[in-house]
Amino acid sequence: MLQKREKVLLLRTFQGRTLRIVREHYLRPCVPCHSPLCPQPAACSHDGKLLSSDVTHYVIPDWKVVQDYLEILEFPELKGIIFMQTACQAVQHQRGRRQYNKLRNLLKDARHDCILFANEFQQCCYLPRERGESMEKWQTRSIYNAAVWYYHHCQDRMPIVMVTEDEEAIQQYGSETEGVFVITFKGILNVNKHRAQIEAFVRLQGASSKDSDLVSDILIHGMKARNRSIHGDVVVVELLPKNEWKGRTVALCENDCDDKASGESPSEPMPTGRVVGILQKNWRDYVVTFPSKEEVQSQGKNAQKILVTPWDYRIPKIRISTQQAETLQDFRVVVRIDSWESTSVYPNGHFVRVLGRIGDLEGEIATILVENSISVIPFSEAQMCEMPVNTPESPWKVSPEEEQKRKDLRKSHLVFSIDPKGCEDVDDTLSVRTLNNGNLELGVHIADVTHFVAPNSYIDIEARTRATTYYLADRRYDMLPSVLSADLCSLLGGVDRYAVSIMWELDKASYEIKKVWYGRTIIRSAYKLFYEAAQELLDGNLSVVDDIPEFKDLDEKSRQAKLEELVWAIGKLTDIARHVRAKRDGCGALELEGVEVCVQLDDKKNIHDLIPKQPLEVHETVAECMILANHWVAKKIWESFPHQALLRQHPPPHQEFFSELRECAKAKGFFIDTRSNKTLADSLDNANDPHDPIVNRLLRSMATQAMSNALYFSTGSCAEEEFHHYGLALDKYTHFTSPIRRYSDIVVHRLLMAAISKDKKMEIKGNLFSNKDLEELCRHINNRNQAAQHSQKQSTELFQCMYFKDKDPATEERCISDGVIYSIRTNGVLLFIPRFGIKGAAYLKNKDGLVISCGPDSCSEWKPGSLQRFQNKITSTTTDGESVTFHLFDHVTVRISIQASRCHSDTIRLEIISNKPYKIPNTELIHQSSPLLKSELVKEVTKSVEEAQLAQEVKVNIIQEEYQEYRQTKGRSLYTLLEEIRDLALLDVSNNYGI
Amino acid sequence: MAGLELLSDQGYRVDGRRAGELRKIQARMGVFAQADGSAYIEQGNTKALAVVYGPHEIRGSRARALPDRALVNCQYSSATFSTGERKRRPHGDRKSCEMGLQLRQTFEAAILTQLHPRSQIDIYVQVLQADGGTYAACVNAATLAVLDAGIPMRDFVCACSAGFVDGTALADLSHVEEAAGGPQLALALLPASGQIALLEMDARLHEDHLERVLEAAAQAARDVHTLLDRVVRQHRAELRGGHRLVLGAGFPAADPAHLHVGERHGLHHGGGAVCGRRPCPGFCPGLRRPPQEVGGSASGLA
Repeated sequence: MLQKREKVLLLRTFQGRTLRIVREHYLRPCVPCHSPLCPQPAACSHDGKLLSSDVTHYVIPDWKVVQDYLEILEFPELKGIIFMQTACQAVQHQRGRRQYNKLRNLLKDARHDCILFANEFQQCCYLPRERGESMEKWQTRSIYNAAVWYYHHCQDRMPIVMVTEDEEAIQQYGSETEGVFVITFKGILNVNKHRAQIEAFVRLQGASSKDSDLVSDILIHGMKARNRSIHGDVVVVELLPKNEWKGRTVALCENDCDDKASGESPSEPMPTGRVVGILQKNWRDYVVTFPSKEEVQSQGKNAQKILVTPWDYRIPKIRISTQQAETLQDFRVVVRIDSWESTSVYPNGHFVRVLGRIGDLEGEIATILVENSISVIPFSEAQMCEMPVNTPESPWKVSPEEEQKRKDLRKSHLVFSIDPKGCEDVDDTLSVRTLNNGNLELGVHIADVTHFVAPNSYIDIEARTRATTYYLADRRYDMLPSVLSADLCSLLGGVDRYAVSIMWELDKASYEIKKVWYGRTIIRSAYKLFYEAAQELLDGNLSVVDDIPEFKDLDEKSRQAKLEELVWAIGKLTDIARHVRAKRDGCGALELEGVEVCVQLDDKKNIHDLIPKQPLEVHETVAECMILANHWVAKKIWESFPHQALLRQHPPPHQEFFSELRECAKAKGFFIDTRSNKTLADSLDNANDPHDPIVNRLLRSMATQAMSNALYFSTGSCAEEEFHHYGLALDKYTHFTSPIRRYSDIVVHRLLMAAISKDKKMEIKGNLFSNKDLEELCRHINNRNQAAQHSQKQSTELFQCMYFKDKDPATEERCISDGVIYSIRTNGVLLFIPRFGIKGAAYLKNKDGLVISCGPDSCSEWKPGSLQRFQNKITSTTTDGESVTFHLFDHVTVRISIQASRCHSDTIRLEIISNKPYKIPNTELIHQSSPLLKSELVKEVTKSVEEAQLAQEVKVNIIQEEYQEYRQTKGRSLYTLLEEIRDLALLDVSNNYGI
Repeated sequence: MAGLELLSDQGYRVDGRRAGELRKIQARMGVFAQADGSAYIEQGNTKALAVVYGPHEIRGSRARALPDRALVNCQYSSATFSTGERKRRPHGDRKSCEMGLQLRQTFEAAILTQLHPRSQIDIYVQVLQADGGTYAACVNAATLAVLDAGIPMRDFVCACSAGFVDGTALADLSHVEEAAGGPQLALALLPASGQIALLEMDARLHEDHLERVLEAAAQAARDVHTLLDRVVRQHRAELRGGHRLVLGAGFPAADPAHLHVGERHGLHHGGGAVCGRRPCPGFCPGLRRPPQEVGGSASGLA
């Protein structure tokens, strides 16, 4: 008999009113189950198709799965699918007629082993939607409930798998009923950059709840198994049986030679799979190069369709149809992928725009930007209209209302900033003073960017999109317009500025923090110091005073008094910083240096700015104050908004990533304890070879590589234990101190302001991001940060290559250098060149199968022979019995050359020319590393300038102009120097010819 | 949002019924004491109340009196809250008038009007909640009310609607199905004879399909009859039980022949006329007849 139920629906009419509608809903005891296992076939009265009886389990897709992945469910290989009526209705209502008709046809198709179960008309399966329950939750609940009923209806004889994407559902129902499994399974495809043709890896996102023995990545071997997925796609993989598993290749090889599957022993087999579906495509704009003329001809006369090669090795060639192939030959071009037919080896795309000539600096830089999806169009008029005005005619002034609201520190505090020389965007200043009760007051004052950037204004939206300022090797792209970044938000000396301050009251002796105050202030920075000058003052060397412009116009007496005041402040500050630092270390902290040094010492950085980053104590002092400020702000905003604060976490690294580091250290006789950040820091400190400082540097950079990146996150989406910052050993950390160049800091500033008004029981102005929005924003910022890092690295590499490009490696002395082996592969070694900070591979076996050998004069030659690889050494034996062995951390002499590549970026090639350390006549030069490069270069430049009879001043002016244009904050760049050299060379020739 | 699928591939309608299935019907007779006859019916979510007065003398202008038969006066109205959106429907709007006329035609065909010349029978129907098939609900409610009033009829009048979707005839359309705009047919049937009291359809439907839709509606009307018949019997049983208690005070419950009260619910299948409860001396010859036992013929239905 039918049972009557009523469903109450709330509909919205076209006029926007809500309408309460009651609909009847009839339930019946018997709904056809279409299963051959049905115990009462008469009652169920099956007509139409039945599920086949030879399946091992039935699959019930959740509504979301049916909506999004119907194409996958359409595969005839998938059998025993039960579509629940609830899921079908979700498709009908939310996905439209077209997809619903596809589903209907699927159900009608007799060849396809799937049925519909009308669960909502079955009296035991129907669940009324509860008050306040969301549609999605109700649908998932209904489907699960129906799955359980179905399982029992078939007398528990057939296991049922419910496939869902809803993590909560998996947790809630996963283990509720035996025989009904709730799973999900997907990951992100990562293509190996160096073996693009063969290897790709899939990192699992959420492993299924009931088989979690798979922890490592899954190898996807070959293009076919990759099944048209492209680097970055979210894919579904199928694991192959164990006997088909493969290992990853450990031999070195080059990109262009067609991976003649090196028969050498691959590592032990790892889980191997193949892609069965792409859940989310991650296509973006790709930079490509057209094939050169000869290649076009070899492709046949079918010139309408052309295969172009992407700049990124990981992307397959793209087929586009154009008739401009010949004109576009020498350009870098942006294309977009449109489709990839299942019958095609290559995807189809279309031409979008031209970036620039191949090899041209602007073109190559544009390439890097596009490849990292960085868009840097100038700020629009609407955005600039929101900016305050500060011109000589109408100078910007502190407004009286703000003066009332803010705490005025202009008279009471000595505020100063310490930054690199020539820095324009000063976002942090410091102050320290003695209070009346004898205690100390330490203040960190950060530029108040949020005062100028209102939430959701045009400029705010633009800054959010950019998320960070991008620093390339020779230029930078600002997050905020220069009127803010270099002027009104820059805490320059001698002008009034708005700031957000944190002030701690410290005990005079123990430096214990007694009180903390957060708030908006007005400050006037007294001195804009640079690091070197501050260090000199700290060391008691007062001669640098002449370099500080603020002191120039003072008479001797007041100068002396002011100077004493400043020196005291810097000294006190350093003292406090030391103390805070010691406390952090005492808590079991990893030395900040452990992380920071590596970032600073990183090869890219060294080349990036040729000014040496000599670790001065002042650096550390400023950094420590900033960390302290960040830490306290993190605590504050987390306390006020436990579910929607933006913090920064640094998850502890996986131990297995440290194995290479441990083995390398063992080769040198050191033991690295990686159990905690404290032990790691200590053992890294101990691992110091007195004869070779580079060993420690290499070990530290290896340790950094083993660690994961620090990330922004929203506190609502993470458990509190996960907030920890491993590198800094702080329980809570955020970014607060650079709002001019990081959007995350702007968000944190707003949070802090809201927290302050919350404390004062004032209404919170503007709405803050909810946890979900913040989570989304964090993901965006993290992504942009990574793009910024990549683009910086790639641009540095570009400059390195341009530097070596015009040199003839055979004759130029500069191309020969000292290298250190830091890793060993089956057919070569990885080298680090301290002088240029370059890392690269050198082969011990060339393409013709010849191996390296070193004669008595230790010069290398190629001879037939074989290689033998050991744990920490590699031996090359020639057929005539000579052998040469390379150990880890051996110094060798290498020749640097450039391997030009038309379609991709140029790469640096290293070639071992001797197994002895490189010696040049003036030996003291090699022991000092990169600092020399600059002076060397500059000397050379000036010399050649004189030789070319050019007016020095003109050149300097040009540099000045460029300096102005790009707003370099770090002095002359390598690029301007390189350009000079190139120009000189050209002029030289013309002189010869012309005169 | 895609349009609703009125009939799924599996043969289910939006509310879970199959094509020929009726909505749940619940009815009650005698809900109003001061009226001569009254009934309340629910067909799914369509709810209607019918009240009958009469037969009585002509009210108002005497000129309206018919010399040979009774005047059947039907008035239809629907409550302002009967639909989802509250709408004020003044008395006597076009729709109500039309509905009143249709009801009048239906009941003129069913009631033995010639038994009551120069008199008037009033049937008032009010729809409390409209969820499709209002005409059918009104007719069914009015039938029960007329029965309750003891006015002789040829037979029950049972009404039901039917529609046509994707080559299938659907019985007893709900509001959702009506609103979809397909052809809809309303049928009032005298089930015993199979005579049609009223057939109404104002949409286009191919002649070839008419037969099927008509058959679906007729079958549904017969099903409705079964249910209504059950309601009437149940009501009679209740009354008998109740009156026994009353009668037990003075009269012996002896021969039902001279018990007017006990006679109220006699059903006369053979005679083709149905008698109501009212002892109407002079008007209702049927009452003078000895009651027939109804258990035998009705047992098949119950």
